[in-house]
Amino acid sequence: MNSRTRALRIGAGVTALVAAGAALTGCSSTASGGGDADKTTGVTISVVLAVDPPPKATLDQFTKDTGITVKWSNVDWDSLQTKIAAAATAKTYFADATDVDWSRVGQLAKLKWFHPMQDYLNVSKLKGDMPQLASFTDDGQTVGIPFDASYMVTTVNKKMFADAGITTMPTTIDEYTADLKKVQAGGVQYPLNIPFAASEGLSTYWYETTGAFGGKVLDGAGKPQFTSKSSPGYKAAEWMIGALKDGLVAPANINVSDSQGMQTLMAKGAAASIFSDYSGNVGSLYNVPSSSTVTGQVEYIPTPGVDGVGPNLTNADGIGIPMTAKYPKAAATFIKWFTSTDAQAGFAGADGPSKVLPSYALPSRLSAVDVLNKKGSLDGGDVLATLLKDSKPVFPDGAPSWYPEFSRAVYTNLHAAAAGTMTVDQAIKKIADTANQLASGS
Amino acid sequence: MRLFGDDAITSSIGNTLLYVLIGVALSTVLGIAFAVALQRPFRGRSAVVAILVLPWALPGVVEGIIWVSIWDGNTGLLNSVLTSAHLIDHYQVFLGHNQLLTVFLTEIVQVWQITPLSTLLILAGLQNIPAEIYESASIDGAGPWGSFTRLTLPLVRPGITVAMVQAVIATLNVFDQPYVLNGAAATGSSVTMQTYFVTFQNLDFGEGYALSLLITIATLVISFIVLKLVYRPVEF
Repeated sequence: MNSRTRALRIGAGVTALVAAGAALTGCSSTASGGGDADKTTGVTISVVLAVDPPPKATLDQFTKDTGITVKWSNVDWDSLQTKIAAAATAKTYFADATDVDWSRVGQLAKLKWFHPMQDYLNVSKLKGDMPQLASFTDDGQTVGIPFDASYMVTTVNKKMFADAGITTMPTTIDEYTADLKKVQAGGVQYPLNIPFAASEGLSTYWYETTGAFGGKVLDGAGKPQFTSKSSPGYKAAEWMIGALKDGLVAPANINVSDSQGMQTLMAKGAAASIFSDYSGNVGSLYNVPSSSTVTGQVEYIPTPGVDGVGPNLTNADGIGIPMTAKYPKAAATFIKWFTSTDAQAGFAGADGPSKVLPSYALPSRLSAVDVLNKKGSLDGGDVLATLLKDSKPVFPDGAPSWYPEFSRAVYTNLHAAAAGTMTVDQAIKKIADTANQLASGS
Repeated sequence: MRLFGDDAITSSIGNTLLYVLIGVALSTVLGIAFAVALQRPFRGRSAVVAILVLPWALPGVVEGIIWVSIWDGNTGLLNSVLTSAHLIDHYQVFLGHNQLLTVFLTEIVQVWQITPLSTLLILAGLQNIPAEIYESASIDGAGPWGSFTRLTLPLVRPGITVAMVQAVIATLNVFDQPYVLNGAAATGSSVTMQTYFVTFQNLDFGEGYALSLLITIATLVISFIVLKLVYRPVEF
């Protein structure tokens, strides 16, 4: 047994050495700035995103058209953020094009870890066709280009609503709450899904609900807009926690994350509605028989607001060029293609399954959504196209550089309020204190 | 000093100390029990050892996901079993309400992961004990309990020490299990999780370094205390 343990330890040691070697090799290349930086043909660029690559034939066609070969790596989102930070801090080459998350735009712009995209693309021309581009711009610097159009929408199981005698969909929060109670009386034990787990999904749910109540979370200077009891943010928090206390939301949801609730509650017919769902989920989750028991039953509705339809907040995925990229110009050529109308429509299925990008949400370009709608290949396309047109960034002035710390204060304190270890008032106060402290730079 | 003024960090320090206490105690007791059960050869022992090692080979995230399906308050196995046995009327939420219960149930998952290595380390120590010692003790009238307390435990102390030190290291660095089971909630957050948040989300590498140093020093100090309290040289 001693020799076995020793062998295992040696094995582990060798593995660690190999891993360290690989890491060093991967990080040992020098940053951009040499003569190769301007090359736009005959080079191989590294694209690292938290999504699967487009079909090989599509990438091959890109190579044929441009002379740029793409080496694609799919790295999970959390690890990818760590790699981006580590590579930027160490000033080592990591990728030519990689993820730019909307929530980190403020940080990335401040730290200047990414090339300003306006140096490479005509950003002002893109604005009209990409409503979510504003989320990727901070202090005049466009850090990344949105390649899909994830935004928050309200979904309802129309069959459950109809079974409860509801034929007209709610347009206000009050109507929505009353309808959920009817659905509950009709036999759905917990009709509403709110992901109260202490993770990012809870923050975005609150932002969306705050928007529906007619307000925003922070002003342009980063000051909290939710401290007054009559403020939309405060009311949104009260509504969410109240739904849990009143039994519209399952008590166990204090440990349910956003995607978990979508997959295990909404898609399995245990919940009748998600107020802040992902755009694209009807087609990519609820209407997929292998992952859903409610196919054909779930639909998007315009988000209920205080006096009518509320706004939809965006949290799109973006792509940008790290400062340490070897071939920034070639990477820009790739991004231009990757976010083009034709490519996005193809990724979403307009040209058949051979060009589909697996798990692709929705195009970020209105023109690509139009293409899909005209071809009839988008579930709930009419509603989605309207919602996308009216979608707004969570932070119209760009996410503050301290957003992650603020968001963590949001989801840990709202979670604590849901778990009953603090009141809504205490949670809001703690979140506001954090925002004030961060905004003042202390 | 700024570190200790942050509620999230101070609560994570308290949680981590609980993880260490529960994890080291449980994995050591279970490790000794399993090792003693496996000490004598029996038919199928190799298969039992292979199965026992499985949880150790699984990544912490995978284990967290497996145990979500056990602890889950909506569809969890434990609720299903307790309801079927009529021990509870309706499904309960086990994680997130109470700090001690949350830490305990989360640490059970890590104990499941680290106990196999503790078992193997203690078993290696047990197999170094010559059989003649037990024979002599038996002739002198020692029963199984007497042999265990007066021979086995004192003679396997080096193995127990190594097992406890590896448990200290694992539990002080616990991340995957609380993160998967309870998110970033204060009821279960660990110092390693806070280190990750501070370093790679806030991008405050200075504070992240300070937290890493804190864990390193704690690892050294606690390991040294374990070494002093438990280790005794053994010669046969």
